[in-house]
Parts: sequence; structure tokens; C-alpha cells
Amino acid sequence: MLFLALKQLFSKKKQTFLILLGISFGTMLFVAISGVQLGFRAYITSALLNNTAHIIISGSENEIEKKEVQERIFGNTELVHWISPPSGKRDESKLENYQGWAQKLRADINVYDFSPRLSINVIVKRGPIKSSVGLVGSLPLRQLRISKIEDYLQEGRFEELASGGNKIIIGSGVAKDLGVRMSQFVDVISGDGGVKPFKVVGIIKFGDERTDRSLAFAHLTDVQKLNKTPGRVTEIAVALNDMEKAEELASEWSLFSKDKVQDWKHANAMFMEMIKMQDIVRYFITISVLIVAAFGIYNVLTIMINQKRKEIAILRSIGYAPQRILELILFQGIFLGLSGGLLGLLFGFMICQVVGSVDMGFEIGDSNHLIISYDLSIYLTAFVAALIAALIASFIPAMAASKMTPIDIIRGQE
Amino acid sequence: MIRVKHICKSFGEPAQKILHDICFEVTDGEFVSISGRSGSGKSTLLYLMSSLDLPTTGEVIIDNKDLAKMSVEEIHGFRNLNIGFIFQFHYLLPELTALENILLPPRNLGKVDEYTEKAKALLKMMNIEKVMHKLPGQMSGGEQQRVAIARALIMDPKYIFADEPTGNLDTTNGQIVMDILKKTNQELGTTICLVTHEPDYAAMADREIYLVDGRVAERE
Repeated sequence: MLFLALKQLFSKKKQTFLILLGISFGTMLFVAISGVQLGFRAYITSALLNNTAHIIISGSENEIEKKEVQERIFGNTELVHWISPPSGKRDESKLENYQGWAQKLRADINVYDFSPRLSINVIVKRGPIKSSVGLVGSLPLRQLRISKIEDYLQEGRFEELASGGNKIIIGSGVAKDLGVRMSQFVDVISGDGGVKPFKVVGIIKFGDERTDRSLAFAHLTDVQKLNKTPGRVTEIAVALNDMEKAEELASEWSLFSKDKVQDWKHANAMFMEMIKMQDIVRYFITISVLIVAAFGIYNVLTIMINQKRKEIAILRSIGYAPQRILELILFQGIFLGLSGGLLGLLFGFMICQVVGSVDMGFEIGDSNHLIISYDLSIYLTAFVAALIAALIASFIPAMAASKMTPIDIIRGQE
Repeated sequence: MIRVKHICKSFGEPAQKILHDICFEVTDGEFVSISGRSGSGKSTLLYLMSSLDLPTTGEVIIDNKDLAKMSVEEIHGFRNLNIGFIFQFHYLLPELTALENILLPPRNLGKVDEYTEKAKALLKMMNIEKVMHKLPGQMSGGEQQRVAIARALIMDPKYIFADEPTGNLDTTNGQIVMDILKKTNQELGTTICLVTHEPDYAAMADREIYLVDGRVAERE
């Protein structure tokens, strides 16, 4: 029946071409929008994961509770009314049992690697200029394993920190504010006033100005010494083999200890909401276009069937069963879906290439071009959606055609 | 053999009877014409005999099979192998060439290659070899009808049902078509049931079934 289906389609070249354009337009739109959105999303996700991780385990916030204080002082009575209720933290948040966590993470097959960190707020000073910075102390070689932080280094290498000895990598914004260049020294002042000189061995740029003006990295031991808290770890950054399992594992691990276990999605809840909205818009646009294209297929096939009643009658009378007539029309729909889908993928790919090569005039990551995703799943989803739309649109007229009896058609012609 | 047993056919609401208690038999190899005035029910009778329609009451037995008891698949298989149809308005597929139109019945069985030479031989036999690769729109009415006859003959069917095959043709082409049908009947032993309102063509058959108001009658 493919032979007949193609003959019928190509006998109406203009109609067929217009329908192909309709389907390919829907597919192209999905590929292009998804390419831009997912490319940008991957870039943002990657940047976010450098500051967080798939899962962050941190010490729980040990806050003073009004009820607890009241019971200690006044016993179990309802007669006390606080004018100014007790509040605040009991202590700085810290992991109580780092070794216990380390043991557990090493044994978990879902964990790719992890890195302990101590994050403190410091002031970086050079001459009279000061900059308030969040200093992250980590084990550099492990940090390199759990993130792509090396990709964001403008100058120097992250592993320079590995040998310790008061070396620091500062954000590009901090470097600019302080006028610091590589191999120069800055003073790092901790919360209790302790000052230590650190040698700048790298300048990092994530592309987000706020981050680049407020972040610095050093070796964990150096930060512990600066903070006068030897052995203290505030958080463990965990990289998983499959980042999509982060939510499930975080909720499972949170049952083991009082420590706070947060996956990257919860840590960036607003970003994830934005992603959801983007997905809804993307699918809404594509479905709308595909519905229009599907109506096009439906109309063309319905008109064609009405025009070809005589031919359907003759096919039935020479032995083509209803099933074969159904196939005849369905094949045309499938052909339109397949070829329109493939054309759409090609057009979508070409648009992505063009959009990705346009100089946007502002910096995104390390270039001025939009980051485009060429993920295979985008192309598969677009193609399958086009095919399904074409199949549904052709099935209804195909069923109608298969139900026509030759005698009704012949009598109708008389 | 085709046996028509007490068939009646009604249409519409309220039912209007077109055929009234018709009985006859067509033996294998016979050339039967069904004639009568316009509206006498001759085409309706042909469609009932050829499995395209079912009677309101009565039976049509073809090769000892009751058409009413055959499944849709069986009927289509039977038509594909044993029946050739020729209609007044040719009914060729406009996007297919003459050769492709003739090969439609074997195409349904996936046997196009097997029957291609035979299709060419039929075109030659009908003296329309030159239209082999032409589309119906590029052929004359007579050529189109001969292509339709070739399509009806391609599977060597046991039965040919022709519904006024000359009705849309001039005298010369009409005669050519009738000669082909007669020759097919005589040389291949194909049973032919021909509906015509032309007495001359009806007379060319072995037997004439003459209908008056849906009943078999004697021609006056």
C-alpha cells in the first residue's frame, strides 16, 4: 500500500508540501526553543553546582527555642509571658560527625565522590581596599573531582591550592575591586580579627557578577587555621553518579542524623520553578503548533478521501479489504509525520546553529554566544511528537475511508 | 456457477422494492446479459450477484458459497482472485499509469512482478500498448475502458461483471469492448454477466435476462 499511498500524496504536490511545512514548523520550533532553553539551563545548572553540589550535608541550625528555655527556668507552666522571647543561635553550625558521614558516603554506590568544606566570611584586603568575601576551604583535588570548577578559572589552576601554604583563588570581581594580579599577596582577615597573607594563585569567573565579587577558594587546612577551628568542617559537598537521584537520596540520608541534607534542586527551588515554567511554555507552544499541523493533515486527508471515493470503490471491488484502505490512508499520514518531522529536525538544527553563532553583545560563560543544547532527547521528543500528531490526525479519516462500502459509493455516483 | 434464489431488494424508508423474487442460474462459461429499461433494477441485480451488495431476502450462491455467510476478508479475497469488474465510468486511479492500473489486483497480493508481463500482453491484445505508461487523463475514453477491461482480466478471473461498459463510449469503441468480452468468453471460458440497455449488445450474449420493474420478463 506504500506505493499507492506515495502515488496519491505526490499527485497533490502543493497540498503535500504545505502540510509537510506545517509539521516541520512545529518540530523545528520545539527543537529551536528547547535547544536554547536547555542550553542555557545546563549552563546555569553547572554554575549553580559549582557553588553547591548534587547534595550538601551541613550542620543543622542550632537555634535557641523559647519553649525549652521556659521549661528549664520556670518548669512546665503556662503562666509565663515573654516580653522579649529568647532567640538566636546556640553555636555556629558545624558537622558533628564528619568521619561518620565520610564512612557512609564512601560505602554508598550512588556517590561518585565528596569533598569536605569549611565556609567562612572573611575580608580580603590589599592596601586600603577591602572586599567582603565568602571563603571556601576545600580539599582541592577532591573538589576538582566533584565539580567542573577548573573550567571557570580565568588564570591559574585550581590544583595549585593542593599544596596548601596560604594560597588563594579569588573571584574576578574581587581581583578587579582590589586591583590584584596573579602571584600578588592579599591580607585575609577572619571574623575574630586574625590576619594572614595569602598568595593569589588563580582568578575565577563564573559569569555571575555577584558571585564573582564575593567568592574565594583556599585549602581546607589553611581556612581552618585562619578561623582557628582546626578539624572543623561546615559542610560536605557530594557528587552523585546520577544527579537526578539527588532528591531521593537527600531525603533518605536526612533520616540518619540531625545534620541538614539538601539536594541541589531544593537548594535552588526558585530556579527549579523557573525551569518548570519554561518547560510548560515550551510544550504549550509546540503542542499548539502540532495541533494546527495535525488539523492540516486531517483536513487534507478528509478532502482527499472525498475526492477519491470512486478510487476507493474500485479498490474495494477488486479485493482491497477495509484494512488495506485503512493502511492506504494511514501510510500517507505516517509519511507526512516522518518526513515533516525529519525536515523539522533539520530546520531546527540549522536554526540552533545560526542562533548559537550570533554575537549577543554580552558575556555568557566564556563567550558572547547563546549556549545551545543539542541533546539527543530534544530531537527524539520532537520527532515522536510529530509522528504521533500525524498518526492521530490520519487515523480518523482512515477509519472513515475503510468503512465506505463500494456499493454506497457507486450508488452515490449514479 | 451462480445461483440466484428468490432474491428481493428494497431501498429507503419506507422501503421501496426494486427487485421482486428473482430466481435464475448462470452456469460456468456462460455469457449472460441483463437488460431492461432505466430503473428496471438491472445494475442492482448485478451488484447482488457479484458480492458488492447483499439482498434484502433470498440467497446468492456463488461457487457453492452463500455470499451472506462469508466474512469481509473472505469476500475480498474471493473478489481479488475470481471476479473482474468493469464499470461504465472506467474507475481508473488517475495517479497511476495504464500498466500500474492493470496491476492493481496482483499488487494486493504482492505479486506485481509475476503479473507484469501478462499485463503488457493484455495491453498488446487490446491494441493499446502505446498508452502503457500514460496516465488516464492522457487517454481517450475507449482506451481507458480497455485498460479497465485489462485490469478485470489480469487475474484470469472466473467471473466478469460488466455494468454498462459501453454506456460512455461511441459506437466504434463500444463494439471493440463487446468484441473483447465475447472473445474472452469464448477463448478463456470466463463467465460474463453484462448489464446493458442496448438490445444489440444484449443479443450478443448466450442468454438474456430481461427485467421489467424488478421482475424477470420476456422481451416483447
